[in-house]
Amino acid sequence: MAARGEKQGERWRPPRGRHGLPPEIVARSQRERLLEATMEVVAEKGYGPTTVADLTKRAGISRTTFYELFEDKEACFLAAYDDAVDTLVRLISSAYEAEERWPDRARAGLAALLEALAAQPEQARLALVDVSAAGPAAQRRYRAAIGRLTPFLDEGRDFAPGGRTLPANVSRMAAGAVVGLVADELIAGRAEELPGLLSDVLFATLVPYLGPDAAAREVAEENR
Amino acid sequence: MFPLPPTASHNGAKSKAQQDDLGGLIEREHLPSGRADLPEPLIAHSQRERILNAMAATCAAKGYGATTIADVCEPAGVSRATFYELFKDKEDCLQASMELSLADAMGRIVEVYSPDKPWATMVRDAAATFLDLLASRPDFARMALVEAPAAGGRSLEMYASGKRVLQALLDRGRGDPIEEQGIPSSAGRGALAAAESLIVSQILAGNTERLPELLPDIVYIITIPYLGQDEALRQSREAEKTLRSGAG
Repeated sequence: MAARGEKQGERWRPPRGRHGLPPEIVARSQRERLLEATMEVVAEKGYGPTTVADLTKRAGISRTTFYELFEDKEACFLAAYDDAVDTLVRLISSAYEAEERWPDRARAGLAALLEALAAQPEQARLALVDVSAAGPAAQRRYRAAIGRLTPFLDEGRDFAPGGRTLPANVSRMAAGAVVGLVADELIAGRAEELPGLLSDVLFATLVPYLGPDAAAREVAEENR
Repeated sequence: MFPLPPTASHNGAKSKAQQDDLGGLIEREHLPSGRADLPEPLIAHSQRERILNAMAATCAAKGYGATTIADVCEPAGVSRATFYELFKDKEDCLQASMELSLADAMGRIVEVYSPDKPWATMVRDAAATFLDLLASRPDFARMALVEAPAAGGRSLEMYASGKRVLQALLDRGRGDPIEEQGIPSSAGRGALAAAESLIVSQILAGNTERLPELLPDIVYIITIPYLGQDEALRQSREAEKTLRSGAG
Protein backbone atom coordinates (compact mmCIF):
# COMPACT_ATOMS: atom_id res chain seq x y z
CA MET A 1 0.00 0.00 0.00
CA ALA A 2 2.18 2.76 -1.32
CA ALA A 3 -0.50 5.37 -0.68
CA ARG A 4 -0.24 4.79 3.04
CA GLY A 5 3.48 5.37 3.04
CA GLU A 6 3.02 8.67 1.20
CA LYS A 7 0.29 9.82 3.50
CA GLN A 8 2.62 9.45 6.40
CA GLY A 9 4.59 12.51 5.37
CA GLU A 10 1.49 14.67 5.60
CA ARG A 11 0.75 13.75 9.16
CA TRP A 12 1.55 16.41 11.70
CA ARG A 13 4.66 15.92 13.78
CA PRO A 14 6.26 18.15 16.32
CA PRO A 15 9.19 20.00 14.77
CA ARG A 16 12.55 18.41 15.38
CA GLY A 17 15.14 19.95 17.67
CA ARG A 18 14.36 22.62 20.23
CA HIS A 19 10.73 23.48 19.66
CA GLY A 20 9.60 24.30 23.18
CA LEU A 21 6.56 21.98 23.05
CA PRO A 22 5.60 20.53 26.41
CA PRO A 23 6.88 16.93 26.66
CA GLU A 24 3.43 15.45 27.27
CA ILE A 25 2.17 16.85 23.94
CA VAL A 26 5.12 15.33 22.14
CA ALA A 27 4.54 12.01 23.88
CA ARG A 28 0.85 12.00 23.00
CA SER A 29 1.49 12.64 19.34
CA GLN A 30 4.14 9.91 19.33
CA ARG A 31 1.72 7.50 20.96
CA GLU A 32 -1.05 8.32 18.50
CA ARG A 33 1.27 7.91 15.54
CA LEU A 34 2.50 4.61 16.92
CA LEU A 35 -1.01 3.24 17.46
CA GLU A 36 -2.06 4.23 13.96
CA ALA A 37 1.12 2.75 12.48
CA THR A 38 0.60 -0.48 14.43
CA MET A 39 -2.87 -1.11 12.97
CA GLU A 40 -1.52 -0.36 9.48
CA VAL A 41 1.56 -2.54 9.69
CA VAL A 42 -0.13 -5.49 11.39
CA ALA A 43 -2.97 -5.35 8.84
CA GLU A 44 -0.40 -5.51 6.04
CA LYS A 45 2.10 -8.02 7.43
CA GLY A 46 0.15 -10.06 9.95
CA TYR A 47 0.76 -9.98 13.69
CA GLY A 48 3.34 -12.77 13.87
CA PRO A 49 5.85 -11.39 11.33
CA THR A 50 5.54 -7.78 12.55
CA THR A 51 8.54 -6.58 14.57
CA VAL A 52 8.95 -3.62 16.90
CA ALA A 53 11.37 -2.22 14.31
CA ASP A 54 8.57 -2.25 11.69
CA LEU A 55 6.40 -0.25 14.04
CA THR A 56 8.98 2.36 15.05
CA LYS A 57 9.98 2.84 11.42
CA ARG A 58 6.42 3.44 10.23
CA ALA A 59 5.61 5.70 13.18
CA GLY A 60 8.89 7.58 12.83
CA ILE A 61 9.86 7.15 16.48
CA SER A 62 12.94 5.71 18.14
CA ARG A 63 13.19 2.31 19.74
CA THR A 64 13.80 4.00 23.09
CA THR A 65 10.57 5.97 22.73
CA PHE A 66 8.70 2.79 21.86
CA TYR A 67 9.82 1.09 25.04
CA GLU A 68 9.00 4.20 27.06
CA LEU A 69 5.45 3.89 25.78
CA PHE A 70 4.94 0.11 25.74
CA GLU A 71 6.48 -2.96 27.26
CA ASP A 72 6.44 -4.99 24.05
CA LYS A 73 4.77 -5.57 20.68
CA GLU A 74 1.74 -7.23 22.22
CA ALA A 75 1.02 -4.39 24.64
CA CYS A 76 1.31 -1.92 21.78
CA PHE A 77 -0.98 -3.96 19.52
CA LEU A 78 -3.62 -4.34 22.24
CA ALA A 79 -3.62 -0.59 22.83
CA ALA A 80 -3.86 0.05 19.08
CA TYR A 81 -6.71 -2.43 18.84
CA ASP A 82 -8.66 -0.85 21.68
CA ASP A 83 -8.10 2.56 20.12
CA ALA A 84 -9.45 1.38 16.75
CA VAL A 85 -12.48 -0.17 18.47
CA ASP A 86 -13.08 3.09 20.38
CA THR A 87 -13.18 4.95 17.08
CA LEU A 88 -15.67 2.49 15.58
CA VAL A 89 -17.92 2.62 18.64
CA ARG A 90 -17.91 6.44 18.55
CA LEU A 91 -18.97 6.36 14.89
CA ILE A 92 -21.75 3.86 15.61
CA SER A 93 -22.89 5.82 18.63
CA SER A 94 -23.23 9.18 16.92
CA ALA A 95 -25.19 7.67 14.01
CA TYR A 96 -27.37 5.72 16.44
CA GLU A 97 -28.12 8.72 18.65
CA ALA A 98 -29.27 10.78 15.67
CA GLU A 99 -32.40 8.62 15.25
CA GLU A 100 -35.51 8.19 17.40
CA ARG A 101 -37.17 4.78 17.03
CA TRP A 102 -34.99 1.85 18.05
CA PRO A 103 -35.12 0.02 14.67
CA ASP A 104 -34.08 3.27 12.95
CA ARG A 105 -31.30 3.77 15.48
CA ALA A 106 -30.09 0.22 14.85
CA ARG A 107 -30.15 0.75 11.10
CA ALA A 108 -28.17 4.01 11.35
CA GLY A 109 -25.59 2.50 13.69
CA LEU A 110 -25.11 -0.57 11.51
CA ALA A 111 -24.82 1.53 8.35
CA ALA A 112 -22.09 3.61 10.01
CA LEU A 113 -20.24 0.46 11.06
CA LEU A 114 -20.40 -1.09 7.58
CA GLU A 115 -19.23 2.11 5.88
CA ALA A 116 -16.32 2.55 8.25
CA LEU A 117 -15.18 -1.03 7.72
CA ALA A 118 -15.58 -0.82 3.94
CA ALA A 119 -13.40 2.29 3.88
CA GLN A 120 -10.46 0.39 5.40
CA PRO A 121 -10.65 -3.22 4.20
CA GLU A 122 -7.28 -4.38 5.56
CA GLN A 123 -7.82 -2.94 9.00
CA ALA A 124 -11.40 -4.26 9.00
CA ARG A 125 -10.07 -7.76 8.41
CA LEU A 126 -7.52 -7.32 11.16
CA ALA A 127 -10.13 -5.98 13.59
CA LEU A 128 -12.67 -8.75 13.01
CA VAL A 129 -10.81 -11.79 11.66
CA ASP A 130 -7.03 -11.84 12.02
CA VAL A 131 -7.04 -10.37 15.52
CA SER A 132 -7.60 -13.89 16.89
CA ALA A 133 -4.17 -14.96 15.62
CA ALA A 134 -2.50 -12.41 17.92
CA GLY A 135 -2.85 -14.61 21.02
CA PRO A 136 -5.18 -15.16 23.96
CA ALA A 137 -5.18 -11.56 25.18
CA ALA A 138 -6.12 -10.29 21.71
CA GLN A 139 -8.87 -12.91 21.47
CA ARG A 140 -10.36 -11.62 24.70
CA ARG A 141 -10.15 -8.00 23.46
CA TYR A 142 -12.01 -9.04 20.31
CA ARG A 143 -14.81 -10.60 22.37
CA ALA A 144 -14.90 -7.51 24.57
CA ALA A 145 -15.21 -5.40 21.41
CA ILE A 146 -18.27 -7.41 20.32
CA GLY A 147 -19.65 -6.86 23.81
CA ARG A 148 -19.51 -3.10 23.28
CA LEU A 149 -22.36 -3.41 20.78
CA THR A 150 -24.72 -4.87 23.38
CA PRO A 151 -25.79 -1.59 25.08
CA PHE A 152 -27.21 -0.41 21.73
CA LEU A 153 -29.04 -3.72 21.34
CA ASP A 154 -30.38 -3.83 24.90
CA GLU A 155 -32.68 -0.93 23.99
CA GLY A 156 -34.46 -3.47 21.79
CA ARG A 157 -35.82 -5.01 24.96
CA ASP A 158 -37.64 -1.80 25.84
CA PHE A 159 -38.91 -1.38 22.30
CA ALA A 160 -40.15 -4.96 21.79
CA PRO A 161 -43.57 -5.80 23.31
CA GLY A 162 -42.30 -8.94 25.08
CA GLY A 163 -38.77 -7.69 25.52
CA ARG A 164 -38.57 -8.43 29.23
CA THR A 165 -39.23 -12.13 28.76
CA LEU A 166 -36.44 -12.77 26.24
CA PRO A 167 -33.51 -15.04 27.15
CA ALA A 168 -30.67 -13.43 29.09
CA ASN A 169 -28.01 -13.41 26.36
CA VAL A 170 -30.10 -12.08 23.48
CA SER A 171 -28.09 -8.88 23.01
CA ARG A 172 -24.78 -10.71 23.20
CA MET A 173 -26.01 -13.13 20.53
CA ALA A 174 -27.44 -10.43 18.24
CA ALA A 175 -24.07 -8.64 18.36
CA GLY A 176 -22.37 -11.94 17.53
CA ALA A 177 -24.64 -12.46 14.53
CA VAL A 178 -23.79 -9.02 13.11
CA VAL A 179 -20.06 -9.52 13.56
CA GLY A 180 -20.22 -13.09 12.23
CA LEU A 181 -22.02 -12.04 9.04
CA VAL A 182 -19.55 -9.18 8.52
CA ALA A 183 -16.57 -11.49 9.15
CA ASP A 184 -17.85 -13.93 6.51
CA GLU A 185 -17.75 -11.11 3.93
CA LEU A 186 -14.27 -10.03 5.03
CA ILE A 187 -12.93 -13.59 4.78
CA ALA A 188 -14.43 -13.81 1.29
CA GLY A 189 -12.58 -10.61 0.35
CA ARG A 190 -15.71 -8.52 -0.10
CA ALA A 191 -14.95 -5.70 2.34
CA GLU A 192 -15.76 -2.95 -0.16
CA GLU A 193 -19.23 -4.37 -0.66
CA LEU A 194 -20.08 -4.36 3.05
CA PRO A 195 -22.60 -1.49 2.84
CA GLY A 196 -24.74 -3.86 0.72
CA LEU A 197 -24.97 -6.18 3.73
CA LEU A 198 -27.16 -3.71 5.66
CA SER A 199 -30.47 -5.60 5.15
CA ASP A 200 -28.91 -8.85 6.38
CA VAL A 201 -27.28 -7.42 9.51
CA LEU A 202 -30.33 -5.29 10.31
CA PHE A 203 -32.54 -8.37 10.12
CA ALA A 204 -30.10 -10.32 12.32
CA THR A 205 -30.17 -7.44 14.84
CA LEU A 206 -33.94 -7.02 14.97
CA VAL A 207 -35.14 -10.62 14.74
CA PRO A 208 -34.39 -11.73 18.32
CA TYR A 209 -36.43 -8.80 19.67
CA LEU A 210 -39.23 -8.43 17.13
CA GLY A 211 -39.56 -11.88 15.55
CA PRO A 212 -39.02 -12.64 11.85
CA ASP A 213 -42.17 -11.05 10.40
CA ALA A 214 -41.81 -7.67 12.09
CA ALA A 215 -38.05 -7.67 11.49
CA ALA A 216 -38.61 -8.38 7.78
CA ARG A 217 -41.16 -5.52 7.62
CA GLU A 218 -38.70 -3.09 9.21
CA VAL A 219 -35.98 -4.13 6.78
CA ALA A 220 -38.35 -3.77 3.80
CA GLU A 221 -39.39 -0.31 4.97
CA GLU A 222 -35.79 0.83 5.27
CA ASN A 223 -35.14 -0.29 1.74
CA ARG A 224 -38.04 1.62 0.27
CA MET B 1 -15.78 -40.53 19.07
CA PHE B 2 -12.78 -39.19 20.90
CA PRO B 3 -10.81 -42.20 22.02
CA LEU B 4 -10.53 -40.52 25.41
CA PRO B 5 -12.75 -40.34 28.46
CA PRO B 6 -13.93 -36.91 29.62
CA THR B 7 -11.27 -35.00 31.46
CA ALA B 8 -11.81 -32.45 34.16
CA SER B 9 -8.82 -30.39 33.11
CA HIS B 10 -9.13 -26.62 33.16
CA ASN B 11 -7.40 -23.96 31.19
CA GLY B 12 -4.14 -22.84 32.60
CA ALA B 13 -1.11 -24.62 33.95
CA LYS B 14 -1.49 -28.34 34.36
CA SER B 15 -0.19 -30.31 37.29
CA LYS B 16 1.63 -33.53 36.55
CA ALA B 17 -1.43 -35.50 37.63
CA GLN B 18 -3.67 -33.50 35.30
CA GLN B 19 -1.30 -34.01 32.42
CA ASP B 20 -1.47 -37.73 32.97
CA ASP B 21 -5.23 -37.50 33.30
CA LEU B 22 -5.37 -35.94 29.84
CA GLY B 23 -3.98 -39.12 28.41
CA GLY B 24 -7.01 -40.93 29.74
CA LEU B 25 -7.46 -44.35 28.22
CA ILE B 26 -4.09 -44.20 26.56
CA GLU B 27 -2.07 -43.17 29.56
CA ARG B 28 1.48 -44.33 29.53
CA GLU B 29 0.66 -46.75 32.34
CA HIS B 30 -1.69 -48.64 30.10
CA LEU B 31 1.13 -49.82 27.94
CA PRO B 32 3.21 -52.60 29.39
CA SER B 33 6.66 -51.30 30.21
CA GLY B 34 8.38 -53.88 28.04
CA ARG B 35 6.99 -52.79 24.71
CA ALA B 36 8.90 -55.24 22.59
CA ASP B 37 5.90 -57.48 22.06
CA LEU B 38 3.49 -54.69 21.12
CA PRO B 39 2.90 -54.25 17.42
CA GLU B 40 4.48 -51.02 16.07
CA PRO B 41 1.24 -49.38 14.86
CA LEU B 42 -0.35 -49.72 18.29
CA ILE B 43 2.45 -47.80 19.99
CA ALA B 44 2.41 -45.17 17.29
CA HIS B 45 -1.34 -44.84 17.63
CA SER B 46 -1.19 -44.08 21.32
CA GLN B 47 1.78 -41.75 20.86
CA ARG B 48 -0.22 -39.89 18.25
CA GLU B 49 -3.15 -39.51 20.58
CA ARG B 50 -0.95 -38.38 23.45
CA ILE B 51 0.50 -35.72 21.18
CA LEU B 52 -2.96 -34.58 20.03
CA ASN B 53 -4.08 -34.28 23.65
CA ALA B 54 -0.95 -32.38 24.59
CA MET B 55 -1.45 -30.09 21.60
CA ALA B 56 -4.99 -29.23 22.71
CA ALA B 57 -3.91 -28.72 26.32
CA THR B 58 -0.95 -26.51 25.45
CA CYS B 59 -2.95 -24.41 22.98
CA ALA B 60 -5.59 -23.92 25.64
CA ALA B 61 -2.97 -22.77 28.14
CA LYS B 62 -0.86 -20.43 26.00
CA GLY B 63 -2.44 -20.12 22.56
CA TYR B 64 -1.47 -21.84 19.32
CA GLY B 65 0.94 -19.13 18.22
CA ALA B 66 3.09 -19.39 21.34
CA THR B 67 2.99 -23.19 21.44
CA THR B 68 6.27 -24.91 20.51
CA ILE B 69 6.94 -28.51 19.52
CA ALA B 70 8.89 -28.91 22.76
CA ASP B 71 5.82 -27.75 24.74
CA VAL B 72 3.83 -30.55 23.12
CA CYS B 73 6.44 -33.32 23.37
CA GLU B 74 7.10 -32.83 27.07
CA PRO B 75 3.60 -33.60 28.45
CA ALA B 76 3.02 -36.20 25.70
CA GLY B 77 6.14 -38.02 26.85
CA VAL B 78 7.49 -38.39 23.32
CA SER B 79 10.75 -37.34 21.73
CA ARG B 80 11.08 -34.65 19.08
CA ALA B 81 12.04 -37.36 16.62
CA THR B 82 8.80 -39.23 17.32
CA PHE B 83 6.80 -36.04 16.85
CA TYR B 84 8.30 -35.51 13.41
CA GLU B 85 7.72 -39.13 12.46
CA LEU B 86 4.01 -38.63 13.08
CA PHE B 87 3.48 -35.01 12.04
CA LYS B 88 5.07 -32.80 9.46
CA ASP B 89 5.04 -29.73 11.70
CA LYS B 90 3.04 -27.88 14.33
CA GLU B 91 0.35 -26.91 11.86
CA ASP B 92 -0.06 -30.49 10.67
CA CYS B 93 -0.56 -31.51 14.30
CA LEU B 94 -3.20 -28.82 14.85
CA GLN B 95 -5.02 -29.94 11.73
CA ALA B 96 -5.00 -33.57 12.87
CA SER B 97 -6.38 -32.50 16.23
CA MET B 98 -9.04 -30.42 14.49
CA GLU B 99 -9.96 -33.29 12.20
CA LEU B 100 -10.46 -35.62 15.14
CA SER B 101 -12.56 -33.09 17.07
CA LEU B 102 -14.69 -32.25 14.09
CA ALA B 103 -15.36 -35.88 13.19
CA ASP B 104 -16.32 -36.54 16.79
CA ALA B 105 -18.66 -33.56 17.08
CA MET B 106 -20.32 -34.26 13.75
CA GLY B 107 -20.69 -37.95 14.54
CA ARG B 108 -22.53 -37.14 17.75
CA ILE B 109 -24.76 -34.54 16.17
CA VAL B 110 -25.70 -36.82 13.29
CA GLU B 111 -26.52 -39.48 15.90
CA VAL B 112 -29.23 -37.31 17.48
CA TYR B 113 -30.42 -36.04 14.14
CA SER B 114 -33.46 -37.84 12.83
CA PRO B 115 -35.91 -36.76 10.14
CA ASP B 116 -38.70 -38.36 12.22
CA LYS B 117 -38.30 -35.91 15.09
CA PRO B 118 -39.96 -32.50 14.96
CA TRP B 119 -37.38 -30.02 13.64
CA ALA B 120 -37.28 -27.98 16.86
CA THR B 121 -36.66 -31.09 18.94
CA MET B 122 -33.83 -32.06 16.63
CA VAL B 123 -32.25 -28.60 17.03
CA ARG B 124 -32.56 -28.80 20.80
CA ASP B 125 -31.07 -32.29 21.00
CA ALA B 126 -28.22 -31.42 18.66
CA ALA B 127 -27.41 -28.20 20.55
CA ALA B 128 -27.51 -30.00 23.91
CA THR B 129 -25.21 -32.72 22.59
CA PHE B 130 -22.76 -30.18 21.23
CA LEU B 131 -22.67 -28.09 24.42
CA ASP B 132 -22.21 -31.20 26.58
CA LEU B 133 -19.35 -32.37 24.39
CA LEU B 134 -17.58 -29.00 24.62
CA ALA B 135 -18.08 -28.85 28.38
CA SER B 136 -16.60 -32.29 28.86
CA ARG B 137 -13.44 -31.42 26.87
CA PRO B 138 -12.49 -27.83 27.65
CA ASP B 139 -9.08 -28.07 25.97
CA PHE B 140 -10.45 -29.47 22.74
CA ALA B 141 -13.30 -26.96 22.85
CA ARG B 142 -10.84 -24.13 22.92
CA MET B 143 -8.59 -25.65 20.31
CA ALA B 144 -11.46 -26.32 17.89
CA LEU B 145 -13.46 -23.12 18.36
CA VAL B 146 -10.74 -20.57 19.08
CA GLU B 147 -7.25 -21.66 18.06
CA ALA B 148 -7.94 -23.61 14.87
CA PRO B 149 -10.00 -20.90 13.16
CA ALA B 150 -7.46 -18.27 14.31
CA ALA B 151 -4.60 -20.25 12.80
CA GLY B 152 -6.07 -19.77 9.32
CA GLY B 153 -5.23 -22.05 6.41
CA ARG B 154 -6.65 -25.56 6.37
CA SER B 155 -7.67 -25.44 10.04
CA LEU B 156 -9.89 -22.46 9.29
CA GLU B 157 -11.27 -24.25 6.23
CA MET B 158 -12.16 -27.28 8.33
CA TYR B 159 -13.87 -25.02 10.84
CA ALA B 160 -15.84 -23.30 8.09
CA SER B 161 -16.85 -26.62 6.54
CA GLY B 162 -18.06 -27.81 9.95
CA LYS B 163 -20.29 -24.75 10.14
CA ARG B 164 -21.64 -25.42 6.66
CA VAL B 165 -22.58 -28.97 7.64
CA LEU B 166 -24.44 -27.64 10.71
CA GLN B 167 -26.14 -25.08 8.50
CA ALA B 168 -27.25 -27.80 6.07
CA LEU B 169 -28.64 -29.87 8.95
CA LEU B 170 -30.55 -26.84 10.21
CA ASP B 171 -31.89 -26.00 6.80
CA ARG B 172 -33.12 -29.52 6.25
CA GLY B 173 -36.65 -30.21 7.31
CA ARG B 174 -37.62 -26.73 8.36
CA GLY B 175 -40.41 -26.44 5.76
CA ASP B 176 -40.75 -23.72 3.15
CA PRO B 177 -37.62 -21.77 2.26
CA ILE B 178 -37.60 -18.72 4.51
CA GLU B 179 -36.76 -16.45 1.59
CA GLU B 180 -40.37 -16.87 0.48
CA GLN B 181 -41.49 -15.12 3.65
CA GLY B 182 -39.37 -12.07 2.93
CA ILE B 183 -36.62 -13.23 5.28
CA PRO B 184 -33.01 -12.87 4.11
CA SER B 185 -31.31 -16.12 3.10
CA SER B 186 -28.50 -15.26 5.54
CA ALA B 187 -30.87 -15.56 8.52
CA GLY B 188 -29.83 -19.12 9.38
CA ARG B 189 -26.14 -18.29 9.06
CA GLY B 190 -26.64 -15.24 11.29
CA ALA B 191 -28.39 -17.36 13.91
CA LEU B 192 -25.56 -19.86 13.93
CA ALA B 193 -23.00 -17.04 14.18
CA ALA B 194 -24.94 -15.65 17.14
CA ALA B 195 -24.77 -18.99 18.94
CA GLU B 196 -21.11 -19.46 18.06
CA SER B 197 -20.18 -16.04 19.37
CA LEU B 198 -21.87 -16.66 22.72
CA ILE B 199 -20.17 -20.06 23.06
CA VAL B 200 -16.72 -18.72 22.19
CA SER B 201 -16.99 -15.78 24.58
CA GLN B 202 -17.87 -18.21 27.38
CA ILE B 203 -14.90 -20.42 26.49
CA LEU B 204 -12.55 -17.42 26.56
CA ALA B 205 -14.01 -16.33 29.88
CA GLY B 206 -13.07 -19.75 31.30
CA ASN B 207 -16.70 -20.90 31.63
CA THR B 208 -16.45 -23.89 29.29
CA GLU B 209 -17.82 -26.31 31.89
CA ARG B 210 -20.97 -24.22 32.17
CA LEU B 211 -21.75 -24.14 28.45
CA PRO B 212 -24.72 -26.54 28.78
CA GLU B 213 -26.55 -23.79 30.71
CA LEU B 214 -26.71 -21.76 27.50
CA LEU B 215 -29.12 -24.23 25.90
CA PRO B 216 -32.28 -22.08 26.29
CA ASP B 217 -30.54 -19.04 24.75
CA ILE B 218 -29.14 -21.04 21.87
CA VAL B 219 -32.39 -22.83 21.08
CA TYR B 220 -34.13 -19.45 21.03
CA ILE B 221 -31.70 -17.73 18.66
CA ILE B 222 -31.47 -20.66 16.25
CA THR B 223 -35.20 -21.34 15.97
CA ILE B 224 -36.59 -17.79 15.89
CA PRO B 225 -35.94 -17.00 12.19
CA TYR B 226 -37.71 -20.21 11.20
CA LEU B 227 -40.47 -20.62 13.79
CA GLY B 228 -41.30 -17.10 14.91
CA GLN B 229 -40.97 -15.52 18.34
CA ASP B 230 -43.78 -17.25 20.25
CA GLU B 231 -42.72 -20.72 19.21
CA ALA B 232 -39.01 -19.95 19.75
CA LEU B 233 -39.80 -18.77 23.29
CA ARG B 234 -41.80 -21.93 23.91
CA GLN B 235 -38.90 -24.08 22.64
CA SER B 236 -36.49 -22.10 24.79
CA ARG B 237 -38.62 -22.79 27.88
CA GLU B 238 -38.76 -26.46 26.95
CA ALA B 239 -34.97 -26.46 26.77
CA GLU B 240 -34.82 -24.89 30.22
CA LYS B 241 -37.03 -27.66 31.57
CA THR B 242 -34.82 -30.32 29.98
CA LEU B 243 -31.85 -28.65 31.57
CA ARG B 244 -33.39 -28.57 35.05
CA SER B 245 -34.61 -32.16 34.90
CA GLY B 246 -31.21 -33.24 33.61
CA ALA B 247 -29.40 -31.40 36.40
CA GLY B 248 -31.73 -32.43 39.19
